[in-house]
Amino acid sequence: MSKKITLEQKVLSRNDILAAELRKLFNEEQVAVMNMVSSPGSGKTSLLEKTLGSLSQNLSIGVIEGDIQTDNDAVRIAKTGVPVYQIQTGGACHLEAEMIRRALVNFDLKSTDLLIIENVGNLVCPSAFDLGEGLRVAVISTTEGDDKPLKYPAMFRSADVMVINKMDLLPYTDFDVQKVTRNAMSLNPEIQILKTSCRTGEGLNEWANFVKNFAHLIVSGV
Amino acid sequence: MHELSIAIEILDIVEREAAKHGAAVVRRVNLRVGDLSGVETESLAFSFDAVKGEKDLTRDTILSIERLPVKIRCTPCDEVFHGAGHMVVCPQCEGFDTQLLQGEELEIEDIIID
Repeated sequence: MSKKITLEQKVLSRNDILAAELRKLFNEEQVAVMNMVSSPGSGKTSLLEKTLGSLSQNLSIGVIEGDIQTDNDAVRIAKTGVPVYQIQTGGACHLEAEMIRRALVNFDLKSTDLLIIENVGNLVCPSAFDLGEGLRVAVISTTEGDDKPLKYPAMFRSADVMVINKMDLLPYTDFDVQKVTRNAMSLNPEIQILKTSCRTGEGLNEWANFVKNFAHLIVSGV
Repeated sequence: MHELSIAIEILDIVEREAAKHGAAVVRRVNLRVGDLSGVETESLAFSFDAVKGEKDLTRDTILSIERLPVKIRCTPCDEVFHGAGHMVVCPQCEGFDTQLLQGEELEIEDIIID
């Protein structure tokens, strides 16, 4: 006789389990952790280059760079004076919680306020891999399509904030800021929107303040 | 993407429960997967077949996957709607003041054992 066993049990992937452990560790150590995701070339590294200087006046920061190959981005970040560690995934199209756990030996979490993870440029796979972060930032640029949130819904659904970068190029493209905002909100009504240009400096103060507020919220334990 | 590790986790849970209830064979696993869970049905089914192995307990186990579409309640309209695709915007008033009722599930509902 067959028997039915009712479970109604949630299934977590191994990555989810490890990410939950990391999140607990970050909370205990009072480290604010931010995971930056975007297509290749949206300007994640440039945003960091432009704002790490002012952010590190008030905060002790560490950066983890994720790329398939090269340490080019880590070299760029190191010039700002902020400690940086490069993960080369060797082919994997995203970072996983286990890679972050291994990278943590390169940082002193006790003295770190803000850990910034720059994910591999890819709007698909990173969305499925929680890294234990407290804030997920999706960067989109005005040279991309304003329907990108609808094409990559999982990414924009899981993001807390969408940064629209390369605002200086807006007059030369068909990108519609209102449309992209509406598209992102139709997936994620709570998503916050920031607009920046690393060329003209537009919105960089707002971006830096946003990151600062996030970090202070965690570090002060509010 | 991450379907393989989810399949391994499902198999772990199933084997634990089977041992608890002294099952010789697991006939079926009924899984509920929401459209917003980020899990791809075919890839999960493929992964499960790959990891269930040749053990007598799970060799013939069927993984049955029920997809759950997005369901939202619009606060101003006070009505329940199916979201279009991944969207949680109200199809009637096009407003964003909605609550998600269904769509993020990834759970084992029950297992059938012998």
